[in-house]
Amino acid sequence: MNKRPTKRMSLRSHIAFAGFCVFLLLLIGNLFWIQIIHGEEYRLKAERNQLSDTVINAHRGTIYDSNMKVIAQSASAWLVYINPSKITTDEQKTLLIDCFTEMFGLDRETVEKKVDRKESGYEKIIGQIDNAQKEKLSEFISGHKDQKLSTIVGIDPDTKRYYPLGSFASTVVGFTGSEDTGRAGLELKYNTELTGQAGRIITAKNALAGAMPNDYETTFDARQGYSLVLTVNEVIQYYLEQQLAQAIEETDAKYAYGIVMDVKTGAILGMSTKPDYDLNSPYTISSNKVLEELEKIEDETEKSSVKQEAQFAQWRNRTVSDSYEPGSVFKVFVAAAALEEGVMTPQTQYTCTGQIQVANYFQHCFHNTAHGTQTVAQALPNSCNTFFITMGQRMGKETFFKYFEAFGFTEKTGIDLPSEAAPVAGRTYYDVDHLGIAELSSASFGQTFQATPIQMITAVASIGNGGKLMTPYIVAKVLDENGNIVSETKPIVRRQVISEKTASLVAGYMEEVVISGTAKNAYVAGYHISGKTGTSEKLTVKGQDIASFAGFAPSNDPRIAVLIAVDEPQGVTTGGAVAAPIAGRIFENILAYLNVDPQYSDEEMASTTVTAPNLIGEDSSTVKSKASGFTVKVVGGGETVISQMPSANQPMPKGGIIVVYTEENAARQTATVPKLIGLTMSEANRAAVNAGFNIKISGTTQSGGEVHSYNQSIQEGTPAEQGTIITVYFKSDVNVSD
Amino acid sequence: MATAKKKKGLGSMLLARGSMDVPFFLLLVTIVTIGLIMLFSASYTYSYYHRGGDSTNIFRKQLMFVLLGLAGMYVISRIRYEYFRLFAIIGVVVSLGLLGLVLVLPEYKQGFHRWIDLGFTTFQPSEIAKIGLILILAYLLEKDYKKVTGKIPSDLGVFKKISEITNGKIVIYKSFLTVIGYGILIIVFSGLVYLENHVSGTILMLGLGIMMLFLGEVKNKWFILAGGMIVIVALLLVTNPSILEKYAGERIVAWLDKDYKPTEAGGRWQINNSLYAIGSGGLLGTGLGQSKQKHLYVSEPQNDFIFSIVCEELGFVGAAVIIIIFALLVYRGINIGMRAKDRFGALLAMGISFQIGIQVALNIAVVSDFIPNTGISLPFFSAGGTSVFILLCEMGMLLSVSRSARKKE
Repeated sequence: MNKRPTKRMSLRSHIAFAGFCVFLLLLIGNLFWIQIIHGEEYRLKAERNQLSDTVINAHRGTIYDSNMKVIAQSASAWLVYINPSKITTDEQKTLLIDCFTEMFGLDRETVEKKVDRKESGYEKIIGQIDNAQKEKLSEFISGHKDQKLSTIVGIDPDTKRYYPLGSFASTVVGFTGSEDTGRAGLELKYNTELTGQAGRIITAKNALAGAMPNDYETTFDARQGYSLVLTVNEVIQYYLEQQLAQAIEETDAKYAYGIVMDVKTGAILGMSTKPDYDLNSPYTISSNKVLEELEKIEDETEKSSVKQEAQFAQWRNRTVSDSYEPGSVFKVFVAAAALEEGVMTPQTQYTCTGQIQVANYFQHCFHNTAHGTQTVAQALPNSCNTFFITMGQRMGKETFFKYFEAFGFTEKTGIDLPSEAAPVAGRTYYDVDHLGIAELSSASFGQTFQATPIQMITAVASIGNGGKLMTPYIVAKVLDENGNIVSETKPIVRRQVISEKTASLVAGYMEEVVISGTAKNAYVAGYHISGKTGTSEKLTVKGQDIASFAGFAPSNDPRIAVLIAVDEPQGVTTGGAVAAPIAGRIFENILAYLNVDPQYSDEEMASTTVTAPNLIGEDSSTVKSKASGFTVKVVGGGETVISQMPSANQPMPKGGIIVVYTEENAARQTATVPKLIGLTMSEANRAAVNAGFNIKISGTTQSGGEVHSYNQSIQEGTPAEQGTIITVYFKSDVNVSD
Repeated sequence: MATAKKKKGLGSMLLARGSMDVPFFLLLVTIVTIGLIMLFSASYTYSYYHRGGDSTNIFRKQLMFVLLGLAGMYVISRIRYEYFRLFAIIGVVVSLGLLGLVLVLPEYKQGFHRWIDLGFTTFQPSEIAKIGLILILAYLLEKDYKKVTGKIPSDLGVFKKISEITNGKIVIYKSFLTVIGYGILIIVFSGLVYLENHVSGTILMLGLGIMMLFLGEVKNKWFILAGGMIVIVALLLVTNPSILEKYAGERIVAWLDKDYKPTEAGGRWQINNSLYAIGSGGLLGTGLGQSKQKHLYVSEPQNDFIFSIVCEELGFVGAAVIIIIFALLVYRGINIGMRAKDRFGALLAMGISFQIGIQVALNIAVVSDFIPNTGISLPFFSAGGTSVFILLCEMGMLLSVSRSARKKE
C-alpha cells in the first residue's frame, strides 16, 4: 500500500494555501481601492464613455426688413475635417493635399501643415461648404477606396449664413464668424437672440456607438434662434444707399453716410455708410481705391496690417460709431433753445456785420458776408454765425448746456446697435463748468464739440416731432421660429425738449432754409421740407471737411427725417452744395414711396405742365424711350406710330399718359371717365392716370390752404378715348369767406 | 468499507465506494451556478453582436457543456482514482502530442496557435495539458518519493566516476537528478505552451509544476533557487519588455504606464474599461444585469474579463463573496487531498485545487490591473465549453479521491 500523505506535505500545502490567501487578500484590497475609494472616479469615466452627448445646433434666426424681405438667413452646409493620426502612407497624404487644394482652393502650405500633425486627431480643413462640394468630396473618397480615405476624412453638418441682398445695409446688419456667432452689427448685438440655444440628446450607447433603446435617454430641446424684423425698409434703404454711392462718385469723398428715421417713433428706416462691403464675403476689400493702395505696399506684414485696418474700416457703422463737429446744423437747436427760453422772439432783430468780437478775437460769417439786420427767420437760412453766437451768449452757458443736454448730446441715444460712440465730457464736449465765452460762442454754431450722426438726426427729428426726443431703434420685432412675436419695440419718448409751439416755429424756419437758404438744393417741388446744412472742418485730417444736411418732411406734418454726411468731399465742400442735393433726391423718392401727396404751388404746377411730344413716325419698339417722362401705351402690332392721343404740342401734365397707334384701322382705346371731383390735385391726377386719362388743372391752385376739385370737363361715367385731357377745376376752401 | 467488500467483481474493482465530499460538492455547485448566471448576464450583448443577433447563444452553449461536464464529473467521481495512474503516462503523450499538433495546425485566430477547431467547438490543448501535467507529476512524485526526499547517491556510472575522481567531494544524488528530470518535463510542457504565443498559459503551467514539486516534498533549496530565478526573470521582463513577443511586451508596458496610449488599437483600452466597470460597481453594485460596461466596452466580457462585470453588477461585496467561495473551494480540495489514502490521491487533489486557485488569482489580478494583462480565464465563469467540461471532469477526479478519503484528517 502507498503511504498516506506526510506531515510535511500537509505543512507545505498549508503554507501554499496561506500564500494563496494572502494574494487573495491583496486582490480584495485592490478591489476595495478601485470600487470603494476610487469608485466614483471610475464611474464618471465610464459614464463619459457610455453616454453619447449629441449637440443639436439651434438654427440661427433670420433677419428681415420691415416688409419681411430676407436680409440674412442661415442654411445647412458642411464642415470637412481630418484625423491626421490615421494617415499611414505618403500616398494618402499627397492624395489628400491635392484633393483639398484643388477642390476648395486652399493654400497648399496650410493644408500640408494640418496633414502633417501626426499627433492630432482633429484638424478642420474647411467649413461652410455647400452640398455640391460635399458630394464631390464624398465621391472622391469613395473613388479611392483602396486608400481608405474614409477613415481619415470626416464631414460634419455646419451652417452657412447667406445674405441674399449682398452689401445691403451691411454696416448695420453685420456678419457672422466661423462659429456662427455675430461679429458685427445686428448679428453681434442680437447674437444671443439669433443664436438660440443648442439642444442635447444624452443617450446610453454601446462601444460600437450604437444608441441603446432604453430609458437612459434625456433630451434637452434646442431653442431655435429668434428672427429679427427690422424697421429698415428695403426700398428706403435702397434709395439711401444709391444716393450715397452716387455722392461718393460725384464728390470723390472718402465716406458718405446717411440715416432715414421715422420722426414720430425714432424707428430707423434706412441707415448706411458707404463704401461698405459684401456681407457674403466680409473680408474682401470692396473699395477699389483701397485695393489699389494695398497693391502698392511691398512689405507683407505692413500689407496685412493695412488690409486688416481696411477691413475694420469697411465694417464700421460710422453713423453710430463716428462723431464729427456738426457745424451749422446745430444752429437749429440754438434757435429752438433761444425761442423756448424767450431769449429771443420771432421778431427779435440782430444786425450782422460779417464778424463779431469774442473775447480778444473775431468770429466771422462764411466768406465774411455781412447779412445785415435779420430776424431768426432770415438768420437761419443765411446760416449767420454772428446771429447765433449772439443768441448763445445771451442765453448764457447754463441755459445753453441745459439744451445741449436735453437734445441728447451728452449721452448715447441708446439705439440697439453695437459700438455706439459715447460722448465724454472734456473730450467730445465741454461740460458747463468748462464752457467759457469762447467755447460757448463756438459751440453756438456747432463747433468745439462732437456728435454722432445718430445723435444729430435724433435731435433734429425731435423738432419735427413736436419737441419730443425719441430713442432710436432698428429692431421692430423679435419673432420665434413659428413667427410668433417674442417682443416688439414700442417707441420710447425720452423727453419733451422744447414745446410743440417752438418746435413748429423752428420747423417753419427750417423750411425756409430749404426754400431760399443754404439748403435750397434739397428743395423738391410739391413737398415741404425742413432742413439745415452744415460744413465743418475735420479735426483729425487737416484741410478736409464734412458736409452735412439734416432735416425732415413734410414740414407741416413731419414723417421722415434724413441726415446725410459726406466725409472729405473734394472740390466744393459745403453742406449746401454737397449734402443738400442728395437729401433732396432722397426726400423726393421716399416721400413718393410713402404716398405723401405732393402739394404743388401755382408756380410748381405750371412747371409741371408740358406739351405732348410728336411721336408719329417713331419706331414702335423705341417709342417708349423717345417719350421718356411720359407713360406710353402702344396699341397694335405695326412698326411705326401712325397716330397719338393727345396729339403733339397739346399741353398735358408731366408724366401723363400718351396712347400711340401703330395700325391704320386699329380701334381707338376707350375707357370710362372716373370721378375726379372732391379730390386733391394729386389724388385727381392719380385717379385720372389710373383710368388712362390726363388732367389739366384749372382754378385756384394756392398751396397754402386746402384745395379740392369741384368740377370736371367730361362728366364721370362717360366713355372717352384714352389719353384725353380732362380739365379739372379746383378751389380753396380756406380763407375765402371774407 | 466493510459493506464495500461484500460485492466482488468488475463493479467493485472499478467503482469508488464511499460518499463524495459534500461540502466540496456544495461549494462547487454554488460556484458553477453563480458562474452560469453571471455568464448569461455578461454575454448577452456580446452574443447579440457576434452571434448574429442571438443573445443567448453563448449562454446556451455554456449551459450544455456545464450539464455535460456535470455528468462527466459524476461518472469520473465514481471511478476509483487508482485507475487514474494509468492515465499519467498516456496523459503526457496525449498532452504533448496535442500541444505539438496545435502548433502545426493553421492559426485559428490571427497570430495565435492556441485552439484546435473541432468543427462544433474549439478547444485549447493547454487545458488538457494542465491536468496531464498534474497527473504525471502526482504519479512520479509518489513513485519517486524516496529518491526525491532521501539522500541516495546516483548509481549511474558517469556520476559514480565523478564521485571517485573528486574523491567523494562531488556526489550526485538521485534526488538532484530526479528533480532535474521533473524540471525538464515542466519546461517541455510550458515551452510548448509558450510557443503557442500563450504567456499566461506558460506562467500557469510553470506555477502548477512548481506547486506540484513543492507539495511533493522536493527539497527547500530548489524553491529558493526557483524563487530567485522567477524574481530575476520578472525583473528582467518588467525592465525590458521588448524581450518578449510584441503583444506580450506591450502588455507589460501598458501595465507600467497607466497612461499608455499606443498608436494602434489595444493598449490600455481593454484594461481601462475593465477598471471602469469594476469602479462603477461601488459597494453593492449596479444590480444583476445592470452592467453598462458589458455593452461592448469591456472586450469579451463573457470571457477573460467576466469578473469585471461581476464587480460592476454585484459590487465589492459580491466580488469579495465570490473570492471567498473560491478560497473555500480550494481549501476544501486541499483538505480532501490531506485525507486521501495515498500520496497520488493527495497530490492529485491538491494539484487540481491549486490549479483552480492559481487561475482564479491570476485572472482577478489581471482584470483589476494588479499584474500585466495576460489572457487567462476565470474557472466556471468564463465562456468556453471544452474548458468548463475539462474543469468539471477534474472536479470529478477530486471527488473520486474524496470518496475513499478518511472522514477526518
